[in-house]
Amino acid sequence: MSQTESQRVAAADHKSEAPRPVARAGALTQILSTYRSEIAIAAAIIVLELALGIFVPNALTMGNFSDIAQATAPLIIMAIGVLLVVITGGIDLSVGSVFSLVGMVTGLVMDSGYSSTVGTICGLLVGILFGAVNGILVTFVGLAPFVVTLITYAVAGSLAFIVTDGHSLPINDQGYWLLNGGHLIPGLPNFALFCIILLIVVEFLLRRVVFGRWIYAVGSSPGAARLLGIPVHLVQFSVYVISGLLAAFASVLTVSYISNAEGTAGEAMMLQAIAAVVIGGASLFGGTGSAIGALLGALMITVIQNGVNLIGINSFWQGSVTGLVILVAVLIDRVSKARR
Amino acid sequence: MDPNSGDQETRQAFLLDARGITKSFGATKVLRGMDFSVAPGEVHAFLGGNGAGKSTLLKIVAGITGADGGTLHYKGLDVQDAAGQHARNQGLTVVHQELAVIPHLSIAENIDLPRYRRGYGLFNRAAAHRSAVEALSLIDREFAAQSTDRLVSTLSLHERQMMEIARALKSGAELLLLDEPTTNLTSEEAERLFTVLRRLVAEARIAVVFVSHRMKEIRQVADVCTIIRDGQSAVHRRPLTDLTDAEIIEMMGQSMVAPDATATTPVLAAAPRPKASAAGEALAIRGYGFDIDVGPGQILGLAGAPAGPQALIDQLIGDRKGAGIDIIHGGRPRRYRTPREAVRQGVGFVSGDRSNRGIIATLPIIDNMVASRRIAERRTFVRGGEAREAAGLLDALRIKARSVWDLPSTLSGGTQQKLIIARWLNLRPQMLVLEEPTRGVDVGTKRDIYTLIRAMALAGTTIVWWSTEQTELLELCDRILAFGPDGRATALLSGVGIDEEKLAAATGLAA
Repeated sequence: MSQTESQRVAAADHKSEAPRPVARAGALTQILSTYRSEIAIAAAIIVLELALGIFVPNALTMGNFSDIAQATAPLIIMAIGVLLVVITGGIDLSVGSVFSLVGMVTGLVMDSGYSSTVGTICGLLVGILFGAVNGILVTFVGLAPFVVTLITYAVAGSLAFIVTDGHSLPINDQGYWLLNGGHLIPGLPNFALFCIILLIVVEFLLRRVVFGRWIYAVGSSPGAARLLGIPVHLVQFSVYVISGLLAAFASVLTVSYISNAEGTAGEAMMLQAIAAVVIGGASLFGGTGSAIGALLGALMITVIQNGVNLIGINSFWQGSVTGLVILVAVLIDRVSKARR
Repeated sequence: MDPNSGDQETRQAFLLDARGITKSFGATKVLRGMDFSVAPGEVHAFLGGNGAGKSTLLKIVAGITGADGGTLHYKGLDVQDAAGQHARNQGLTVVHQELAVIPHLSIAENIDLPRYRRGYGLFNRAAAHRSAVEALSLIDREFAAQSTDRLVSTLSLHERQMMEIARALKSGAELLLLDEPTTNLTSEEAERLFTVLRRLVAEARIAVVFVSHRMKEIRQVADVCTIIRDGQSAVHRRPLTDLTDAEIIEMMGQSMVAPDATATTPVLAAAPRPKASAAGEALAIRGYGFDIDVGPGQILGLAGAPAGPQALIDQLIGDRKGAGIDIIHGGRPRRYRTPREAVRQGVGFVSGDRSNRGIIATLPIIDNMVASRRIAERRTFVRGGEAREAAGLLDALRIKARSVWDLPSTLSGGTQQKLIIARWLNLRPQMLVLEEPTRGVDVGTKRDIYTLIRAMALAGTTIVWWSTEQTELLELCDRILAFGPDGRATALLSGVGIDEEKLAAATGLAA
């Protein structure tokens, strides 16, 4: 074809299809598009709470709200750790057992005459240790996350009984209670303060720190991430360590509050934490999810449990109701994504 | 222009007859009353730019998605009725652009399993082997002679493509939809495919719908064409002999000349120059028997069957073992152990496998564009200026996106390809390695990509470019390293003396 002809074609094309300027999205648009599903869950929680208030007036009192907050704090902390692992496309089944073991270790250290500070630090170290083992087996040995954390789940779970031969440990340090219930900021109990700080830190990490964007990239497309020069193994290793640490932190917080460590304390929490992450809009295939979502998911689960208790339904129904809510949450998420 | 519309007599004769098809995704109208008819015994070229609605129409025709409006008849039967639907499901086979192979099953199983319409039959291994060999020999005797027990996950992209085409040819379909079937094939294999297609069309009177961006092969194999533009048929069932290449390109709404260099240079100029030394350093490759030296701003083309170029690229970007040759870059011998090391030393890479090794699907456009910059500049925090930078790049590249916060999946395939090249644009890498950057993109986007790469070369980046399209290598490269089918380098061509014949002789592939 002749050059002039093609140029004419090009010129005509240029006129008819002038480049449309790319819209520079404002901050609000960005927030709305990023937190679409989180806003929906928050709305659902409010509706649920209001509906509950119609049947049980007690539900809408400050006292009940603070009960919910108290009960949900450890779950939120654990769920945010699991969330990071899930965004990378992995899974952490060990958090519940680590939670139990950390409580026992902390109690044991304090029982041997050390201060609550030493006990807490030992507990957190156990969490980091298990996270590191998970991370090494997943990244450097290359085993599947499900298998690796199933192993550490079993090991930590049995160690939680071995360390005290199955006995629960009462904790007598009165000052220890302050870790959970004290007020570093007047008027705000510490457990709530910790949750807020953690939420802000992790949300900032995920949105504004390059490392946080890597966490998504690794979960979304490990191949592309590697070729872009993202240290895929380092990212994976780190999220398991953080997950272990946060499970341990959730545990010491709980132990300090109830002044008692038990080998079965974390049994139910692993599935609840994963459920919270899923309700919060994260995909188990990796690449999506937010800390706010995980927090709201945990809150949703606790609100349901609280509601079931208040209405006076047999508490055996809690699991079924929670299951139903997960189903609804996932379906809504799916429909809204298909629409886009 | 459309002699057949409304004519009931001729409508009966069509194998497939789609009229006035409309389809929207959200607020975007993809198809606005598209007509598409295919008669038995023809090879029908279906042409259109990226994002014109080709893939959507093919999906509707194949019954993968439904249409919002319009009628679709198969053999005169409405596909909304059970009979029409059944006829279509029996008679139509698609080879998608994204290959539909099952990696954990063997070649034989992949070819033979679709034959089983019900799950309770017993799987006959010997019969599966026989039918696999039969199917494969249609297109490649050598491939057919290998074991059909190999797992598909061990096959190269190109072998998978051959397998999928063989399966489609063997399926006994009356209507074959081939969506860019030649993208992963060498010209020789494409030639064999065309021969088989022509034979099937002549003997069995099947119909073939053929999607391709390569004008030469369209003319080689197709009789009639339909051109889609903005979701409507710009041309409906015209013999290809009626149209010149220029007319076809004009109908597709493609510009042959990309936005001139000034469209991209302001962006380049505006980018902060990272380091004085960052703008290109000489590359030397030793160990192939020739001394290959590429200066800053020069383009080295790689030609030939995948084995050779792939190994060299793997080594250049620090992925896997590579070719075991010596690379001297910036005056020092280099042996990158990971892509991360290479990126930090200023080596950029655009993979040919866009969906698995290019785009990060769940992160917005902005992260896809600045990911490499964050690594190269060792950034800790996401910066406020990134949104401005990304939006500026999109404007300069004439990428139509609603916002940089949208997911890349809202863009067409060709636009996504521009996106992953644009990643490196502002970064001025010392070296950029490209793996088939124009595979599966339309003529207009191709031109845009050429301009982009020329602009980067002008800025001093050394470019290494592997392509299976010889014409583009000849047009753009300063020097071409040709590899034979066995992966060994056969010739280093340079200067005005290179032409298609010499290149063909060196690569052992048909021009």
